[in-house]
Amino acid sequence: MARGKAKEGDGNWKKFIWNSEKKEFLGRTGGSWFKILLFYLIFYGCLAGIFIGTIQVMLLTISEFEPKYQDRVAPPGLTVIPRVLKTEISFSIADAKSYQEYVAGLNKFLKDYDPDQQTSDMVFDNCAEKPEDYMNRGEFSNVQGQKKVCRFKRDWLENCSGILDPSYGYKDGKPCVVIKLNRVLGFKPKPPLNDSLPPEMMGKYNPYVLPVHCFAKKEEDVDKIGTIEYYGMAGYAGFPLQYYPYYGKLLQPKYLQPLLAVQFTNLTYDTEVRVECKVYGENIGYSDKDRFQGRFEVKFDIKSS
Amino acid sequence: MESLSPMFGPDLNFPRGLTSARAAEILARDGPNALTPPKSTPEIIKFLKQMVGGFSILLWVGALLCWIAFGIQVAQGVASAFDNLYLGVVLALVVILTGIFAYYQEAKSTNIMASFSKMIPQQALVIRDGEKREVSAEQLVVGDMVEIKGGDRIPADIRLIFAQGCKVDNSSLTGESEPQSRSCDFTHENPLETKNIAFYSTTCLEGTATGMVINTGDQTIIGRIASLASGVGNEKTPIAIEIEHFVHIVAGVAVSIGVLFFIIAVSMKYKVLDSIIFLIGIIVANVPEGLLATVTVSLSLTAKRMAKKNCLVKNLEAVETLGSTSIICSDKTGTLTQNRMTVAHLWFDDQIYSADTSEEQTTQSFDQSSQSWAALSKVVTLCNRAEFKPGQENVPIMKRVVVGDASETALLKFAEVILGDVMGIRKRNRKLAEIPFNSTNKFQLSIHETEDPNDKRFLMVMKGAPERILERCSTIMINGEEQPLDRERAEAFQTAYMELGGLGERVLGFCHLYLPEDEFPDTYPFDTDSMNFPTSNLCFVGLLSMIDPPRSTVPDAVSKCRSAGIKVIMVTGDHPITAKAIAKSVGIISANSETVEDIAKRLNVPVEQVNKEDARAAVINGMELKDMTTEQLDEILINHSEIVFARTSPQQKLIIVEGCQRQDAVVAVTGDGVNDSPALKKADIGIAMGIAGSDAAKNAADMILLDDNFASIVTGVEEGRLIFDNLKKTIAYTLTKNIAELCPFLIYIIASVPLPIGTITILFIDLGTDIIPSVALAYEKAESDIMNRRPRHKKKDRLVNEQLAVYSYLQIGIIQSIGAFLAYFTVYAEQGWLPNTLLGLRVNWEDDYYNDIEDSYGQEWTRYQRTYLQWTGYTAFFVSITIQQVADLIIRKTRRNSIFQQGLLRNKVIWVGIVSQIAIALILSYGLGSVTALNFTPLRVQYWFVAMPYAILIWVYDEIRKLFIRQYPGSWWDKNMYY
Repeated sequence: MARGKAKEGDGNWKKFIWNSEKKEFLGRTGGSWFKILLFYLIFYGCLAGIFIGTIQVMLLTISEFEPKYQDRVAPPGLTVIPRVLKTEISFSIADAKSYQEYVAGLNKFLKDYDPDQQTSDMVFDNCAEKPEDYMNRGEFSNVQGQKKVCRFKRDWLENCSGILDPSYGYKDGKPCVVIKLNRVLGFKPKPPLNDSLPPEMMGKYNPYVLPVHCFAKKEEDVDKIGTIEYYGMAGYAGFPLQYYPYYGKLLQPKYLQPLLAVQFTNLTYDTEVRVECKVYGENIGYSDKDRFQGRFEVKFDIKSS
Repeated sequence: MESLSPMFGPDLNFPRGLTSARAAEILARDGPNALTPPKSTPEIIKFLKQMVGGFSILLWVGALLCWIAFGIQVAQGVASAFDNLYLGVVLALVVILTGIFAYYQEAKSTNIMASFSKMIPQQALVIRDGEKREVSAEQLVVGDMVEIKGGDRIPADIRLIFAQGCKVDNSSLTGESEPQSRSCDFTHENPLETKNIAFYSTTCLEGTATGMVINTGDQTIIGRIASLASGVGNEKTPIAIEIEHFVHIVAGVAVSIGVLFFIIAVSMKYKVLDSIIFLIGIIVANVPEGLLATVTVSLSLTAKRMAKKNCLVKNLEAVETLGSTSIICSDKTGTLTQNRMTVAHLWFDDQIYSADTSEEQTTQSFDQSSQSWAALSKVVTLCNRAEFKPGQENVPIMKRVVVGDASETALLKFAEVILGDVMGIRKRNRKLAEIPFNSTNKFQLSIHETEDPNDKRFLMVMKGAPERILERCSTIMINGEEQPLDRERAEAFQTAYMELGGLGERVLGFCHLYLPEDEFPDTYPFDTDSMNFPTSNLCFVGLLSMIDPPRSTVPDAVSKCRSAGIKVIMVTGDHPITAKAIAKSVGIISANSETVEDIAKRLNVPVEQVNKEDARAAVINGMELKDMTTEQLDEILINHSEIVFARTSPQQKLIIVEGCQRQDAVVAVTGDGVNDSPALKKADIGIAMGIAGSDAAKNAADMILLDDNFASIVTGVEEGRLIFDNLKKTIAYTLTKNIAELCPFLIYIIASVPLPIGTITILFIDLGTDIIPSVALAYEKAESDIMNRRPRHKKKDRLVNEQLAVYSYLQIGIIQSIGAFLAYFTVYAEQGWLPNTLLGLRVNWEDDYYNDIEDSYGQEWTRYQRTYLQWTGYTAFFVSITIQQVADLIIRKTRRNSIFQQGLLRNKVIWVGIVSQIAIALILSYGLGSVTALNFTPLRVQYWFVAMPYAILIWVYDEIRKLFIRQYPGSWWDKNMYY
């Protein structure tokens, strides 16, 4: 920051950079530069020490198993797979390339759900294959070692599992998406009371399932959206509670969150159809500002040719 | 003269004047007899200038980049595009508002020409077509014959062809306190010196005159002075230069870091658009948006404080100029002196007595027991035509208005102070005959009855030029006795006369004669034309000498200026002897200093043989100055510490000021007359007298002394030096946090962490929390006796020097940054994002369609959840900077002394600043936390304390710095750490 000096003699830039009379480089002699650099070396060395020290002290107050605060991350978001740019799924049935990206995204995501990934009984619990209550696994600490996790079988997703149809219905113009509730440590989603649900969902009510429903976002899209098939555990359109609570990356490194596949079997082609999917629960919130909290929106634009 | 005579024909004595037609012709050629106002810059240009001055350009660039970014983002459909639009608008608003503020400040200073034009007389009596007529003075043309009489303002520059007892007051033009007589005789080739020219805008005091107009309008002497004054460019004030220097430093840093990181960002494969956004952030973080306004406020606070002490500051920046002043060029008349003739010395009984010449004299303390004094006082009282205007019984004598000329007024007041009721005495000694003073006789006499009813003699009293009076005397009064005026007595008179004259005083002789009763009975018809009474063989009574005395506060003020390292130079239009005498009496030439001439006289050698370096003092005549080269003038200014310039013209005053400025001095000029106005304008700071000053002087000046007290300048110097020191502190305070604002962007670019602080938030620090504290530093008391140090060197003692910038930027600023980063990391860590997770996270973090990013615990975050956390981070970072700025504010109270020496509580305003700072932060976080656009969130209480250890570290470190500076003056530490 020797700039201040430089301004003194506007015409003397050259002399300022290297003054051969006084052997000064940028206004300082070699010795002077050495001293000042040594000073800053020590000064910044000390500061770095102090900074690292205070960061360490701060980290000591934080548990490695459970975050101190979760007020920013809960209530959780609802995410759709494949992850799409501008939430728009747009492809042409005839052109395999146009949906390759979506298929790849689904393949990648569902890899962890392959049966060969879930063989170890050390890690995986034999949970019931029908919705049940929360499965508490004790404290948020590693006193008892790692926690087990429930299995979630890929084939429960049926037509959308990618096992029968590797294109997840895209080649037939019946696209699948997979829905998951964002993981939040220790979060126990509470299913809604029966009467607070939209009437069309009432029929499949189960007290151990957090229901999800997809519908046309706009009035005029209602008849374009066609039939929606839900594939989840035991045919329930929602997330079974025994997968909750989540114990975190350290205690449950292999945790599989429950999934729900949704297939749109009769979408109108060659037009934009906007679909919103929503998860219902007493402690699930929605926000105008956060359009991915407890719901999401996706736009289909399928070209028939 | 030859060239003039054909114009009005052979009939010089009975001029017919111009014909109306000819006058109209000339009027059409020369234009009206009025001063043309200078071309003024259009207001809109002035306004636009403010819009691009200082940091404005940088901020405009920032705003423009914002809008470009907005345009591109809108085209790309980015959700957060509008943030950039708002930021651009906010930046533009900041520029416009500060511009309006600066424009308003500038608009306050008024136009110099306004008062020059006001001085034009309304009507003039002109002879045209052989008859007298009243015309508007604007209609006068060269060649017109005009008549003037006592009380008139001279309507143009006039060459007199007839004058009777004409006297003019030239004091505003030349600085001469005494009325100048005017006659038809050409006495000097210098138009300012010759007696046959009366000048435009001066006043005719008495007598009548007829003359021919030789110059009108801008061609007149005053017109030339006016154009000289308006032709003198407004020099940049030292503080303006300092601020410009500082702006250059900051802008240089901003631009170079901005460009550097733009290049780094581009080469790190950031998109150009992102790089532009980084650039905006870096500019906003680097520019102390609120600082220039703060400086203005600080200056105006000082200006207010000075106004209370009778220094009215017209140009805000001049507040500091006085503090850096190293030379004061002071006018004599009216500035150093009272601009009023006062009796200073008396000589009677062969002895010189001094009279009190202070402004509020109520008694005179010299020995008044002698009979000679009784006689002298009688002459003084009676031989005097001046009278008090009636109805002033309750006004102090020295302040009463008198009808009469300056020396008679002085004598009247002098007599009134000692004897009281002069008018009563005159009534009791009825005046029978009188011959008023005229330039041929050089005396004035009157004949009176005496107040003693038993004494039937008449008393003739006479006063006049001492040598003429002495010629008419045969006796002299010593201790009340008449004694023959022998050779010895005459020599004593000569010595006294020379001595008083040498003091620069105007000496008058007094004599009287009791007319014998037998020759002059009661009924004797005195005839002043035939002078049927004796006017010789009188009895000499005594001498009185008068001077325009120095103001009583001036000597003290001059010596204070000396001790503050300020050179005081007298520049006057008056005569060298008077000037030197006044200079000696006020200490401009100190008691034991000698001029070259003095030394020559003492050693009895020719002036040329004297070693010039032996003489500390110098008295330079205007005529000598005229022949000097620039180098010679420089030599005089360098070699002599005590200088008096006498008989100087307005141009020469200008030359002297320029000479001083060549020595790198900051020059203050004090003055009151029109003749001073060019120099006042040229000076770094022009100081005009508020009471005695002419409007032209007041308009040309930057500062006006309301009480005409030279001593107020000393107060001004003190305030000016203090504000310079305090502005240093303010700037150091303000610059520090710029690093804490800048580092987040650099780390953001380099380490790709979520952005620690937003641009809007930065603006809230710069224009919100920091404003009041930085103004509060203007109230800080001085650390040591600032009046005992030398004035700062214009080119060496900078407002913002290397040490200040380095210490603020690279030391305290860095500590502040890491303190704020600690808070940032704490907020993120406690929410699930440990520091190591944050590194390299930026791209995913800012992806609008990535709604399930995993944190350190495996939790998944939506975009908005992350954004909200990011704002919490902003708030924490903001709060941490604020908390550390409190510490910064406290350490900036002093630069050398310990805070405990200075006292934590002495400057209450600092605490107002601290409270305001915290209050604003609280309001922003908790009150406006719900307003999305502002990017603040309600913060957990503990985050307010995270940076506290660093705040304490700042304080402790700075105390250590100051301790070493005090302990080891001149050491490496002192040189590098003292700013």
